[in-house]
Amino acid sequence: MSALALAQVDLNAYIPVGVVFLMAAIFVVVNLGASALLGPRRAGAVKATAYESGMDPIGSARRRFNVRFYIMAMTFLVFDVEIIFLYPWAVSFTQLEPRSEEGALFLGRIAFFVGTSIVAYVYAWRKGVFRWD
Amino acid sequence: MPPLSMTAPLVAATSLSPTMIQVIASVIVILVMLHVILGGCAYCIMLERKLSAWMQDRVGPNRVGPKGLLQPIADGLKFIMKEDYNPRGVETFLFVLAPGIIMIPAMIAFVIIPWAGVLQLSSLPWGLAQTLGVEGMTVKLTGADVNVGLIYLIAAASLGVYGVALGGWASNSKYSFLGGLRASAQMISYEIPMGLSLLAIVLVAGTVEPYGIISEQSENGWNLLHQPLAAIIFYSCMLAEANRAPFDLAEAESELVGGYHTEYSSMKFALFFLGEYFHMITGAAFFTLLFLGGFSVNPLPFGPDLPTEGGLGLILLQWLVVLAKVTILISFAMAIRWTLPRFRFDQLMRLAWEGMIPASLLVVSMSALFVYMGWTAWTWAGSIACVAIIYMVWPYLPRQPNPNRRLALIGSRFSPLRDGDSIAVESTEFADSPVPPTRGA
Repeated sequence: MSALALAQVDLNAYIPVGVVFLMAAIFVVVNLGASALLGPRRAGAVKATAYESGMDPIGSARRRFNVRFYIMAMTFLVFDVEIIFLYPWAVSFTQLEPRSEEGALFLGRIAFFVGTSIVAYVYAWRKGVFRWD
Repeated sequence: MPPLSMTAPLVAATSLSPTMIQVIASVIVILVMLHVILGGCAYCIMLERKLSAWMQDRVGPNRVGPKGLLQPIADGLKFIMKEDYNPRGVETFLFVLAPGIIMIPAMIAFVIIPWAGVLQLSSLPWGLAQTLGVEGMTVKLTGADVNVGLIYLIAAASLGVYGVALGGWASNSKYSFLGGLRASAQMISYEIPMGLSLLAIVLVAGTVEPYGIISEQSENGWNLLHQPLAAIIFYSCMLAEANRAPFDLAEAESELVGGYHTEYSSMKFALFFLGEYFHMITGAAFFTLLFLGGFSVNPLPFGPDLPTEGGLGLILLQWLVVLAKVTILISFAMAIRWTLPRFRFDQLMRLAWEGMIPASLLVVSMSALFVYMGWTAWTWAGSIACVAIIYMVWPYLPRQPNPNRRLALIGSRFSPLRDGDSIAVESTEFADSPVPPTRGA
């Protein structure tokens, strides 16, 4: 696709996305509102406590948690950003001539790009980021 | 190649541009499909209960209406009439927001799915086309004809993780907190192999436009045949993204009660549930679009197939084809739920990071290489080669200790240290070891 064709993209095509977003929001608000209005209201001391299978909850639930979640989320970010870069590459790569010099250049560059994050991935694996025990 | 709807109209009698006519058609499609899917969600729950009853030799719900067919409506009414309760200590704003953040991305993600081919407006009954001045024009039967369709869907669908994380955190319950953490970790982990296997399809099709992918498949055969390994990875990730069994760790009843929606009641709980089913229907439709050729009926690269463009009858037929494929995929997901046991959390994470991500990276590299060599018709052979490589590499991958292994650790209270023993791990069963000497004897 040439730059000219890209410039002609009509943003009106996104109007239905706005419409469906509005409809989804209305659906959620109406449903939550209806159940808040129509449902009964009965309060109680025991009812107000957090459910912990019948035990009295001790302290707040928002406490420190395992750092693995954080490390894993960072690793996820690396890959997710990388994948976003791969989509435009994939679309233009398929429009090149097979076995052309340009194609080899495209393939080599993206292989280097993916390779850098694969090095990080192997490092994370050896460091035990994916080990949950 | 210009998109089909952009072809110049024969009669320029209308003041509306082709894009605006497409927008109007899209809004009609959205109105119809939103109702079909919401009704489908309700009856999916019914189908799931009936299927599980059938698989477990029970009867299932059969009281409300003939054969229990009105059960979903009764459930819905009951959800609205139940008390909407916020327990003490919840972060009220986020607590109410979380079900909405689950539901809205699930509802907006489906718009780019093509539900049928291209409709010729001249074929509308009662001379509607003449009245509106749109003779000779065509519209695509999709919610939104955007050119970055696939990326839009995957972006919208992955927003759901915010609702899960917020719901778990705002509830002020330990079960919810752990469930929310687990679910968000799971959803972001499985997003990577999902995106990579999608990339394998983009590499074969050369476009991210839904209609482009379907027309490519009706020409060259379904992607299920070209990229079988990517299809398997994508389907598994789809189950994991929708928190379906065997990946429903977030709501593992035996460990976490209800997971992140433990503290939710009435319609807020129902929205979490509805969001899950909506996600599953969207996922099944996405899989249909990517791997099963959308409304195409012939999986092979040769032989007859339905035309893309036509009148109302053809559109209706294509719509039924898509719905049939979606129903089959959903029933398959339900059969999986009642067949496979749930994973343990460490197994789930290892499957994503040490199994699916390397495998999908391999598939993408293979596809890129095949595209470069011009062997796009042979990617199925590449998939088989990938499976062969995985099996060859498997024994050389680093092993982790099995956390379930029994260790008779010398020096522990089961196998106390004696004179002359070195500190080592013994593999003998502790029942065979001699009677431990009593201390101080």
